[in-house]
Amino acid sequence: MRKKLEGNGLWESSRMMLPEHKAAINDHSESLKRRTRIELDEQEWEHVSRVVSESLLRRQPVAVRLFHPFELLTVIGIVDRVDELKGRFMVDGEWFPIRDIEGAAMEEL
Amino acid sequence: MARDRVIMLADCQSFYASVEKAEHPEYRDRPLAVAGDPKRRSGIILAACPIAKEHGVTTAERLGDSLAKCPDLVIVQPRMALYIDISLMITRIYQSYTDLVEPYSVDEQFLDVTGSLHLYGSPEELAALIQKRIQEETGIYTRFGIGPNKILAKMSCDNYAKKNDSGIFTLGPEKLAATLWALPVSKLFMAGSRMTRHFNAMGLETIGQLAATPLEKLKTLMRRRFGRNSDINAELYWRIANGLDDSPVTPGTHETASTTIGHMMTLPRDYGSLEEIKVVLLELTELVCQRCRSKGYMGHVVSVACMGADYSKPSGFSRQMKMDDPTSVTNQVYRYAIQLLKRHWDGLPVRKVGVSLSQFAADGEYQLSLFEPDREKWMALEKATDAIKRKYGDASIIRAVSATEGVGQAKDRSRKIGGHYK
Repeated sequence: MRKKLEGNGLWESSRMMLPEHKAAINDHSESLKRRTRIELDEQEWEHVSRVVSESLLRRQPVAVRLFHPFELLTVIGIVDRVDELKGRFMVDGEWFPIRDIEGAAMEEL
Repeated sequence: MARDRVIMLADCQSFYASVEKAEHPEYRDRPLAVAGDPKRRSGIILAACPIAKEHGVTTAERLGDSLAKCPDLVIVQPRMALYIDISLMITRIYQSYTDLVEPYSVDEQFLDVTGSLHLYGSPEELAALIQKRIQEETGIYTRFGIGPNKILAKMSCDNYAKKNDSGIFTLGPEKLAATLWALPVSKLFMAGSRMTRHFNAMGLETIGQLAATPLEKLKTLMRRRFGRNSDINAELYWRIANGLDDSPVTPGTHETASTTIGHMMTLPRDYGSLEEIKVVLLELTELVCQRCRSKGYMGHVVSVACMGADYSKPSGFSRQMKMDDPTSVTNQVYRYAIQLLKRHWDGLPVRKVGVSLSQFAADGEYQLSLFEPDREKWMALEKATDAIKRKYGDASIIRAVSATEGVGQAKDRSRKIGGHYK
C-alpha cells in the first residue's frame, strides 16, 4: 500500500495498459538502444592489425572492441590464431569475426 | 537549486474513434462510434467521436441505446492492433521533443519537457507545436494539461484542457485557489462515485475543502469509515487535492519484470457445466504458460477465478494454491487449476474465467520428480508448439477440446487484444 506514495507508485498502480501495448513499448525502447556498426578507416585498420600481430607474435594480451547490437563488447586476451581466409581470429580458444572489430589496444598488465 | 519541472499530460480525443475517422475520411462529418460485437457480449461503445457525443452517445453504454439516440450512427469494429500502432507512433513524435515520455494508457502519455523548453519557448507554445504536428501526421486532436508535476498535469487536462478551445491549459500552484479548489470533490483524480459520497458525508464538498483539511484530521475522519488501514489512502487523496506529487516521468516504467502473468476472459455465453468450463480453463492455462515460457519463467503459485453470471447475486470465487514445484508446463499447471475449480466452484453458471501464475523462478533449472517422468517430453512438445504459434499465429495449432463447437474460445481469442478484435 505504502508504494502508492513513493516513487512512481501512484501512476503505476492506477494505469490501464494492455499487455500487447506494453510489449510494443518495450520492443520500441529496445530498438532505440540498438547500436550501428562503426566503419574503420585505413589507418585504424592498420593500428588494429599491428596490435593483433603484436599479440600473436609476442604473446601479449590485447583488448579488442567488437560490434554487438545492444552491448559494449570487448574481448581481452592473447590472440592465438588469425584465419584470414575465413575472416576470423581466435582469442583463448574462441573464434571471433574480423569484420566485427571496432578497435584494438594493447592491454596493460 | 533544481528548476521547477514542466510536466505535460497529453491526451488523445476519443482515441479509437479518431483513429477510425482518420482511416475512413468518408465518415468525417458523420457520427461514428467504435463498438464491440453484441453477439459476443462485448457490444458496448468503446469510443464515440465528438459528433456522436453531441447526439448523446456516451462511452460504455450499450450499442442498442446509442442507436436509439442516434439512428444514423456509423458503427465500426475495433482494431486494437492498429490503435496500439498509432499510439506508439504518437509516442515517437513526443520522443522527438523529449526523451522523458511515459505512456499512461493507450491514449494518455506524460512528457517531462523541462530540459527541452529552451529550444521551443514557453510550455504552451511547445504544446501547441506538438498538438499541430500530431494533428497533421495522424489526424488526431490532442489536449495538453501542463503543470509542475504529474498530478496537476493530469487534473489540468481532465478538468480544463479537455473543455477549452485551445486544448491546452496550465495549472500552477498559484492558480489552484481560483480553479481546482473550487471544483466539487467528484472532479478529483482517483475519486470515484463511492469515494465522492464518502467525502460528502464527511462534509467535504469541494476539492479545496479536502485540501484545507489538516492531514491528521483527514486520517481520523477516514479511519472512522474505512478502519485503521486507511492512513495511506488519506494521505494519497490529501496530496492529490493539494497538487503535491514528486513522481518522476519514468520512460522505462513498463520494462519491470511482472510479478504475475494472468489471462481472464468474459465468455460469449454463460457456461454451466464443468466440462465446458474445463475447456476454457485449459485454454487460459495454455496461454498463461506459453507467456511464462516465452519469458523464461516458471510459476510456483497458480490462481483461478470464476465470476458468476448473475450480477444481482454476485457469486464465484478467486482462490490460489502453491504447486509442489515451480513449473511452466501447461498440463502440470492445469492439473492444479482443475483442483481449484472442483473444490471452489458452486455449480452456478459462470460468466468470466481467469487463470494466473505468480512467484516466478527462472526456468533454467528445475526439480526432477519421480512422479513426473514425462516432464522432459512435455517440455519438448511445448517448445515445438510454441515455435509453431510464434511463426503461424496462436490459432495455428490448438488442442482437440478447443475445437468443440461453441465451447472452445482459443481460435476466437487469438484474434483479439483486450477482448476486442485486433
